[in-house]
Amino acid sequence: MNRTFGIGDRVTVKNATSMFHTRTQAYTRGKTGVVVEFRPDWVIPEDEAWGRDTPERGGREEPFYVVRFKQKDLWPNYTGFDVDTLETEVAQRWLDPAKEDAK
Amino acid sequence: MTQTHDHDHDAHGAIQSSSGVNEFEVLEQAVRELAIEKGLFSAEDHRRFSEWAESIGPSGGSKLVAKAWVDPEFNARLLADGTEACKEVAIDWLDPTGVGTPSDYTYFYVLENTPTVHNVIVCTLCSCYPRPVLGMSPDWYRTPHYRRRLVRWPREVLAEFGLHFGPDVEVRVHDSNQKSRFMVMPMRPDGTEGWTEEQLAAIVTRDTMIGVAQPKADWTATSSPSAG
Amino acid sequence: MSSSEGFDEIEYRVGNFAPVLRTPLDSPYEISNELFAALRHVLHDVGGQPDLPQPYREKVEEEWEMNAYVTCECLGWRGVWNSEERRRAENDLGATLYFGLPYYARWATVAAKVLISTGQITPDELSAKIDEVRARLEKKSA
Repeated sequence: MNRTFGIGDRVTVKNATSMFHTRTQAYTRGKTGVVVEFRPDWVIPEDEAWGRDTPERGGREEPFYVVRFKQKDLWPNYTGFDVDTLETEVAQRWLDPAKEDAK
Repeated sequence: MTQTHDHDHDAHGAIQSSSGVNEFEVLEQAVRELAIEKGLFSAEDHRRFSEWAESIGPSGGSKLVAKAWVDPEFNARLLADGTEACKEVAIDWLDPTGVGTPSDYTYFYVLENTPTVHNVIVCTLCSCYPRPVLGMSPDWYRTPHYRRRLVRWPREVLAEFGLHFGPDVEVRVHDSNQKSRFMVMPMRPDGTEGWTEEQLAAIVTRDTMIGVAQPKADWTATSSPSAG
Repeated sequence: MSSSEGFDEIEYRVGNFAPVLRTPLDSPYEISNELFAALRHVLHDVGGQPDLPQPYREKVEEEWEMNAYVTCECLGWRGVWNSEERRRAENDLGATLYFGLPYYARWATVAAKVLISTGQITPDELSAKIDEVRARLEKKSA
């Protein structure tokens, strides 16, 4: 599958509804960060969790990204310092290009 | 401070019957025997995996860090491809099944601490941990408590472990929520000039590789380097 | 007993005096969308939820805990499930069991369940085996 995003791209995590299982954390939804690294194409956990863990079994592989957020963008009244960051890994389907006016 | 007043044996979670038999042990053994009876896995599989589980520990990670500290080219290889570099200290992420473990996968990354970036690891969703290089995870790492708090209040949690950083140090939390497994490479402390890899590995503790501690040159052990 | 232990004890007891206004959930007739959203929240996603400082405990794995871990991994190794299925099974236990059971007890519980849900064993086979193992261990410890 083609990679939609490049290193340095600002991305926003989608705020889609999740029922039953996901590995895209609630605290990242709607938040904007920057792609800092690529990860391999992996079967998405939303497929794996239901037994579709290989392409043969219907598991959808797609690019994953390491996204780095500023902590002050993730949490209201973040109690640390402005420099602090958090990195986590996100499947391509969960990312949109950053909205222009997003933090 | 304690949150609970379960002063009793339930601190270990074992429900004791009147004879003292642990119901969790009963359940586990029942599952294992049924699985083996039904041919789902063999007793030999369980033995082999158990042996591997008993062989892993933080000394693997310590060796990686010590080697990286003394050998800049290994350091570069380790940061470029953690999984591959592990082979140089006899750790194979494909063990013991030949294709890796079901829960640890084979995508290992080392996070290098610098004077301006301090890395710390958590898995908020479960308790993903780089078992092949660090062994079994600490109890506290797996608690909902650590999983809830580290991502949002990292400096508070680090302070509870005795680490404090000023506003010039970026505290970078890694929430390992997918297949990557991480280990922190702490900074080499002053006062360790000329130490051998073995001496250096001795001060690289498990907690320094999770990111909740920093190695100390004056760590007192049975054989401190200055004892000659 | 040190004075700080006494302080914690008093603090805990005083906290118990505060009145609690809570409507228990027992199959309610209707609930708000907000409560539905909270109930739908994927259980393991706890990052950033409020919590209070607690001691960081060390605990060496007991033998049954190591066995539970190895059993789950062997089930993954030999294709009965993958680790994401195991993790979802832990969430599917629901909040009371997820947060009520010790960590490895969750592992042992979902391992038992997957044997049934994939049709490898019947529920009565599980019950019978549990009773048989318990009797055996009781005899050994007697």
